[in-house]
Amino acid sequence: MKKTNILIGILFSLLVVAALLKNWNHEQDPENSSGRSEVIFWHFWGGEDRDVVDDVTRRFNASQTKYFVRPVAMPGNNLQAKLFLAVAGGDPPDIVNQDDPVLADWGQRGVIQPLVDIAPAAEVTEIERWILDSARRLSTYQDKMYGLCNGLDIRALYYNKTVLEQHQLQPPRTISDLDEIANTLAPFQSTEKKQSYGYIPDSRRLWAWGYAFGGDFYDASSQRVVVDSPPIRGALQWMASYAQRYGSDNLSAFRQGDQSLPGKTFPLLPLDDQEMSGRYSVIMDGQWRVRNLAAFTHNRQARGVATPEFGVCPLPIPETDSPRKNAGWVNGNFFVFPKGAKNSEGAWEFAKFWIGFTDPSQAAKTCSQGGWIPVSQTVTQDPQFQTYLDENPLFRTFVELSESPNQFPIPSVPGAAFFRRTIERAAFQAFDDPNADIDKILKDAEQQIQTHLNRNDNLRDGGRVDP
Amino acid sequence: MSQSTTHLKQSEKVDRFAGLMFCSPWIIGFVFLFAWPFAASFYWSLCRFDLINPPEFIGLENYRRLTSELQSQKGFGLALTNTLYYSLISVSLSVVTGVLLATLLSAKVKGQAIYRTLVFLPSVIPIVAASVLWIWLLDPESGMINYLLSWIGIPSQNWLNQSRSALSPAGFTEFSQWLQGGTLNLFGSKDALILMTMWGVGNFVVIYLAAISDIPGQLYEAAEIDGANVIRKFYHVTLPMLSPVIFFNLIMGLIRSVQTFASVYVLSEGTGEPGGSLMLISMQLFLSAFADFEMGYTSAMAWVLFVLLLAATTLLFRTSKHWVHYRTSS
Repeated sequence: MKKTNILIGILFSLLVVAALLKNWNHEQDPENSSGRSEVIFWHFWGGEDRDVVDDVTRRFNASQTKYFVRPVAMPGNNLQAKLFLAVAGGDPPDIVNQDDPVLADWGQRGVIQPLVDIAPAAEVTEIERWILDSARRLSTYQDKMYGLCNGLDIRALYYNKTVLEQHQLQPPRTISDLDEIANTLAPFQSTEKKQSYGYIPDSRRLWAWGYAFGGDFYDASSQRVVVDSPPIRGALQWMASYAQRYGSDNLSAFRQGDQSLPGKTFPLLPLDDQEMSGRYSVIMDGQWRVRNLAAFTHNRQARGVATPEFGVCPLPIPETDSPRKNAGWVNGNFFVFPKGAKNSEGAWEFAKFWIGFTDPSQAAKTCSQGGWIPVSQTVTQDPQFQTYLDENPLFRTFVELSESPNQFPIPSVPGAAFFRRTIERAAFQAFDDPNADIDKILKDAEQQIQTHLNRNDNLRDGGRVDP
Repeated sequence: MSQSTTHLKQSEKVDRFAGLMFCSPWIIGFVFLFAWPFAASFYWSLCRFDLINPPEFIGLENYRRLTSELQSQKGFGLALTNTLYYSLISVSLSVVTGVLLATLLSAKVKGQAIYRTLVFLPSVIPIVAASVLWIWLLDPESGMINYLLSWIGIPSQNWLNQSRSALSPAGFTEFSQWLQGGTLNLFGSKDALILMTMWGVGNFVVIYLAAISDIPGQLYEAAEIDGANVIRKFYHVTLPMLSPVIFFNLIMGLIRSVQTFASVYVLSEGTGEPGGSLMLISMQLFLSAFADFEMGYTSAMAWVLFVLLLAATTLLFRTSKHWVHYRTSS
């Protein structure tokens, strides 16, 4: 018994010594001990993306004699509360990566600084010109840049080319084309439950379809919510028509089934080796699915199994006199610089390095590693990224779409989170009830959002904040 | 004499000081972690406050907003309706199921310990893991619950993808149409949440089991001599003797149901959707505070909730004298 206790004691002491040594080694890390000024960087990346983030940081640190970036992975949930408390407590990080539509909220409340407060005005103006329209929209509130977009998320339609060709169908260019695909592969007349569909809209994607139908959700000049407008109404009516044709209960059950696929498989992919089509033949998703398709194709080909061919196309648009081409909903990641940070200058240098403003080839490398869309054409044109596009031709459509002037984010206004929730709930209501009055649903949503935004605008100084 | 009195007074003072010192961790904790936030939240409920900028006093504006949302059934109104639906049904069902299960499990049969373990087991599963498990169980296409319902002739339900509720006018219409040969899509996300809550009823069952084992055997013997059968013994002995525990579980269940958050957060992916059907008060509080930064409005909502819970608890206490029977020494 005594011997066992002694053994446990020795093991415990060894563990403590090992932990102390590890910590001592960390402190003695030559990268850390070079006396450079430390930049604390909060981000939420994990998995494969974490390696890319660590690599960019390593490359930046290697290029620097002045600054040293220390990345801190923070869970995305409740990041806002953590940041607010850090700012209120006077010890915020120097730079934060975020992907929720919070820029205006944070900017209005003075949690983050406009770029002109941390960088030379001329450099900010140059960057404003250098980045894409879509990236600039994501980082601007009231005509001022409050953040620096470092990656874009673009939605397009993925399609199973093999299945479409089998039915003599072409990739859709117009809404009618898409309807034809849906009707051919799963006839509208039949309301019985189906194993697969050609295409069904997702109620959460009214943002994308609203813009594709030529609509806008917010008029910045008059500061009015304009959700109840003919294009948005048209988009929602078209989306809800699928629920009426197929049965809203059938569609919602089918959608729920997507969540239960093993490993949350991309539902465009066939689940079985004997099959050439998945649960859908056409589906809207983002550029990150290109990786999934490549892995699937590689896996099947390695086993000698017949593989369907896939394609990507921009969102189809209605046939109108003035169509809004290559339109859609964009979101993405952006850096923000909290107020009260101790090393905003170092954070700014790191942000410029990341997006490729100082050296496009570095950003080209990062985007190729992560499968991310660059925020500037200069980076896209870099030979290294062009090689990546040649190897991943499906990705090229997303990059082209990111350069379109018709890619819009959720309006950058204080209360954007409420804006988003309310729009998505309105779309769900239209989907859920086949007899719903879409006009009333949109009017209600518009009124609710406007009331909320007015309340938010009056938050500071007891009055409306001037643009 | 006077010296002794002075000495006693000094010793009392020392005792009092020592007592206060011993109590001080609790007193400090109470003042800074409970009393101050409690009072501050009331002040904030009269302010516009976003966590960062100083609170701005706006009087009763937040309470006016709550009243208006109550009338329009948006925001707080919707959350309160959802919470009432969930609380009333889940608490009632958990009391009924808990008492019935405890009565069955108290029967001296072979494998009693195994049955008791099986009933209690779900209660020890972490709520997040249980919620993920229920997302699979409730899958409309391949979930086990729909499979079991199909055995009794009930068609596949949409559960977490449906905003309708079984016990609502729309639910009754749906049910009557089904009886006349129509389709049936009765159960929605709130019903799914209730079902999931019932799965964890084992916590209550343990308390009922302890209370049942505490009922004096002579009461049953007397009832048997009077010719009572099993059902009469249950109604006239078990239920009255269990009533203090039922009362306790009712109050605790009510408070717990209003505080339900983790499972709703997981089931709705932190949104309170579909169609706002899982927007319980806890979720509304969370989103208003940490997504919309409306601390003043959130505090007002929390205070209204506190008053409502207080009223419900008081009402239960007032009615308890009519149905709760405490054992007396006589």
